[in-house]
Amino acid sequence: MTLLPHLVNGLALGLLFALIALGFMLVVSLMETINLAHGSFFALGMYIALVVIAPAADPGGVLAAYKALPLGARYMIALVLAPVAVGLVGMLLEVALRRTYGRDPLYGLLLTFGAALVLEEGLRAVFGSTEKQLAIPEGISGAFMLGDLIYSRYRLFACAFAALAIGLLWLFLEKTPYGSIIKAGAHDSEMVGALGINLSRLRLFVFALGVGLAGLAGVVMAPIWGIRPHVGIDAVVPAFLIIVLGGVGSFWGAVIAALLVGIVVGLSGAYASEWSLLSMYLLFIAVVTFRARGLFGKKSVLDA
Amino acid sequence: MDEQEHKAPALLAPSGSTRRSLLGTIAAGAAGATFFGPWKVNHAWAQSAQKKPLVIGLTMDASGQYAASGVEERLGAMMAIKEFNAKGGVLGRPIEALHIDTETTPATGSRVAERMITRNEAAFLIGGLHSGVANAISQVAQKYGCIYFNTNSSSPTESGKDCHRVKFVWDGNGTNFAEAIVKNAIKTNGRNWVLLTNDYVWGHQTAKATRALVEANGGKIVDELMIPQNTRDFASYLIKLQQIKPEVVATAVGGDDIKALRQQVVQLGLQKRMAWINNQQDWPDVYGLGPEQIFGVFGTTWYWMLDLPGVKEFVANYQKTYPGMAIQVPGNVYYNGYVATRELLRCVEEAGTTANIAVIKKLEGRRMTARDRMQAYDAWIDPATHQCQQTIYMATYNDQPKAKDDIFRILTQSEPKDVVDPEAPKNCKLESYEATPSYEM
Repeated sequence: MTLLPHLVNGLALGLLFALIALGFMLVVSLMETINLAHGSFFALGMYIALVVIAPAADPGGVLAAYKALPLGARYMIALVLAPVAVGLVGMLLEVALRRTYGRDPLYGLLLTFGAALVLEEGLRAVFGSTEKQLAIPEGISGAFMLGDLIYSRYRLFACAFAALAIGLLWLFLEKTPYGSIIKAGAHDSEMVGALGINLSRLRLFVFALGVGLAGLAGVVMAPIWGIRPHVGIDAVVPAFLIIVLGGVGSFWGAVIAALLVGIVVGLSGAYASEWSLLSMYLLFIAVVTFRARGLFGKKSVLDA
Repeated sequence: MDEQEHKAPALLAPSGSTRRSLLGTIAAGAAGATFFGPWKVNHAWAQSAQKKPLVIGLTMDASGQYAASGVEERLGAMMAIKEFNAKGGVLGRPIEALHIDTETTPATGSRVAERMITRNEAAFLIGGLHSGVANAISQVAQKYGCIYFNTNSSSPTESGKDCHRVKFVWDGNGTNFAEAIVKNAIKTNGRNWVLLTNDYVWGHQTAKATRALVEANGGKIVDELMIPQNTRDFASYLIKLQQIKPEVVATAVGGDDIKALRQQVVQLGLQKRMAWINNQQDWPDVYGLGPEQIFGVFGTTWYWMLDLPGVKEFVANYQKTYPGMAIQVPGNVYYNGYVATRELLRCVEEAGTTANIAVIKKLEGRRMTARDRMQAYDAWIDPATHQCQQTIYMATYNDQPKAKDDIFRILTQSEPKDVVDPEAPKNCKLESYEATPSYEM
């Protein structure tokens, strides 16, 4: 019975990893662009949430009424506002990225890497290097005991939220005409263009959605990981690993890979703690040795 | 690589005027050479040229696990340099500080040290937070004979098996802190302990010292959980702790890792279910946290609200020099950077030279008064280990603050002689003076 809490924790951890990887997966799969700034957008989401939930400056007291709102309401506003704001910033990067489309992927990599550095330094310049914390609404703070499992309520909320986000994204991509256009654009952009669909706008939207999801993950993870300018690196590395492990272009491959990584990290943390960070890389090596395309790797989502 | 050069503007002549005086000197020298020969030219040059600046290499992390502490440590060193430059530098030479980010990475530490010594002609190296990085820097420094100050990394190995003739360790180490806390914690909190250990040299060595002291005092280490560096999610460790149910959890976890750990412990309410001891709590890792997050008992070497002469002025000077900083009052990391750099420059002045052996001899066995260092007891540098033996404070959260940021309540202050690391002199084998290359810049 001592194993069960760790399995449950591993699955929960996996859902959180999946949430972190979602936006990265979307941009890689549908735009074939590796967005190394994903982690920095994740961090930006955290900081925007911080400003939205607890605005530091209020000259003239114009925000008095807003500040009087309960924490839960401000948290919900942050959950909506931060991804939108991050998405808007992401649009700027997409515009800069346009010149790299159709060229050596290295250009896109370098550009997004540069953007990551700029964003991180920008956050450091504005907010400083010290740790910041995001207050959690009372209703989802604290812990509960379930048998031998002690768990934080917020973490449970985060997992449920991650599951919801995964489900909604899947529905959007699979069951709406917009999803069909996005996938078609990834598969045959010329044909989609010939059908009168504005490809530039489509890419802009997909990229904004991808980084917006990174921002959303940032808001959800902020109370767990803490907020600091360089927190992005902690997000982009597992996101990258999960996408390749699941197979580039596979939605459910990424989700399953994230759950596997979560379980492996959770169990190794409990039973071989010194291996807990390394374990995800060992899993990765083990899988990629036998399946170079990852678990469910296909050329694109349209091969399904 | 993030590279920044910090110059003290008040003391450096504008480059234009330097160039003009240089040209003038050359012209005068050339004219004199006609009559007195070339040796006189050299003499005239030496008389009129401005003295060569003394370059101090600052090897602080600006990225990675200890980035936040690296900033504070650098500001401390810069403050001491600024004060000396305001008095005319050292030995009549203006002091230039050159900082290169060591990235909390030992390999980068080696590379930075090599570059500062061979390309930037750094006279001394100062800065260390991560014991692996400090060890890497000191190996390079010893190879050239360049004096290196490890200002803030606290693995007992730094003044034990990894000691060097050129290296001086300014922080209390894991054993000093464990000596100050373990006996009392067993008496107060219980005998069953779990160790949470950052999986690198500082964590290992600190946990080793804690384990030895716990067992020597009748306690028992029930389990030890290794925390890899840069761990962000502690849920599996915390569930395990809940399953083990120890009476005391002793952590040797630092930097960003301890910040994330503190947050997650509070989310589970585990700070109320078991006693927590953090071997050493660096100020930048706790500053700005709410009262709940600052749980348990922890060690430090200095606190900004100590009721000692000079502390208020020191704090005011920090605030005046660095207005608008996120960390509004100095902590132990800044303090160590400052007092170490100040002491180095004093020793250079006393020695009358930057020659390494002469300065090393000034440092070895050096005694520093409590008043001068703003601590409760006098401190000294152990000539056998090169570690600064100093007051060790134990603190906890202050629920009755007298001012903003008055977040520590000092529980005890231990005399340096009572918390000496007994293993250090046995493990430390300093290179002889003869085996240490001469170095002078």
